[in-house]
Amino acid sequence: MTVEQILADVRAMLTEIIGAEYALSVDIGMETSFDADLELESIEFVKLSAMLTERYGDRVNFVAFLATKELDEIIEMTVGEVVTYIANCSAYADAIDG
Amino acid sequence: MAEIVAGGVRFHVQRLTPRHTPRQPAHPVVFIHGLGMDNLSSFYYTLANPVADAGAEVILYDLRGHGLSERPRTGYQVQDAVADLTALLDALAIDGPVHVVGNSYGGIVALGFAVTHPHRVASMVLIEAHFSVAGWAEQIAAEQATIDAALTGDALRGWLAQLGRKVTRLMEMADDLLNHTTFLADLTAVQPIPMSRLRTLTCPVRAIYGEHSDVVDYARELDRYLPHCVLTVLGGCGHSVLMDATPALREIVLDWFATQIPSGVR
Repeated sequence: MTVEQILADVRAMLTEIIGAEYALSVDIGMETSFDADLELESIEFVKLSAMLTERYGDRVNFVAFLATKELDEIIEMTVGEVVTYIANCSAYADAIDG
Repeated sequence: MAEIVAGGVRFHVQRLTPRHTPRQPAHPVVFIHGLGMDNLSSFYYTLANPVADAGAEVILYDLRGHGLSERPRTGYQVQDAVADLTALLDALAIDGPVHVVGNSYGGIVALGFAVTHPHRVASMVLIEAHFSVAGWAEQIAAEQATIDAALTGDALRGWLAQLGRKVTRLMEMADDLLNHTTFLADLTAVQPIPMSRLRTLTCPVRAIYGEHSDVVDYARELDRYLPHCVLTVLGGCGHSVLMDATPALREIVLDWFATQIPSGVR
């Protein structure tokens, strides 16, 4: 999967979570912050993680990804960090499969 | 997002599954958050993922009226929360023992669950746990009423509304819970768990309090409530141990579960 495809997935999920009206007011890109830019509630970030786990299944391990992060690191995370993590996991899974 | 209906209420539940197989059969670890503005995300951001990464199956859920769970108009006494947890575990087909981790009010729910179903609790971690003893109900209801008073002030509401989407949503949720359900009345009506019942608990208990917490008096009386409890008082922090001392707390909790083998998490 390409970074662009993953970003499109994440953008669609965020739109579903925070509503199209609000999502359309923010240009969601790699630099977009979940907290400062999207004002995502912490419980909504949990919801996003669950949706991503459901979407990408065994190819990503969000438990391990988040287990290494401190509270402020999670709060300050950008869309790009999540997308990059998924892209790296995906590339690794492809290499194993391949 | 997992939604599970248990006891007639729709609960938001998140299950975190370890990627690797633990060396020993493990009991699930259930996290129970605090009251009011709190929800399962406070544990998700701090302890839940590290505990799952260490090899435990983790279950997080939003208490009724909180987070993304349904907000019924009634049913906010401790015994309701205990019945909810019981129904939820039944719905998840978990009938064996679980480790319970409770923060603040979640600690009371954990204690209530343990005295009601002692065979279903492998161990307890109590973080800044209130104890359902004489005077508790009045104390916690007063705290929540203070929040309510703040929310109903027009000037403050207008100011908060300018802070944006997140604050507005939290405010609306809290307003509905505090003013349009039996939440406050139910808290005030909570009956203490009798000391005689608390003292019958035999499961291992790990308690952590903050040095400057407004509930640290409970920690000082733990010997009376739970004589077999292992206590740590963390210096320099108050009631928000979970958020203010996350690394130290995480180390304590991971060490605790490591010592719970063969019923532990790794």
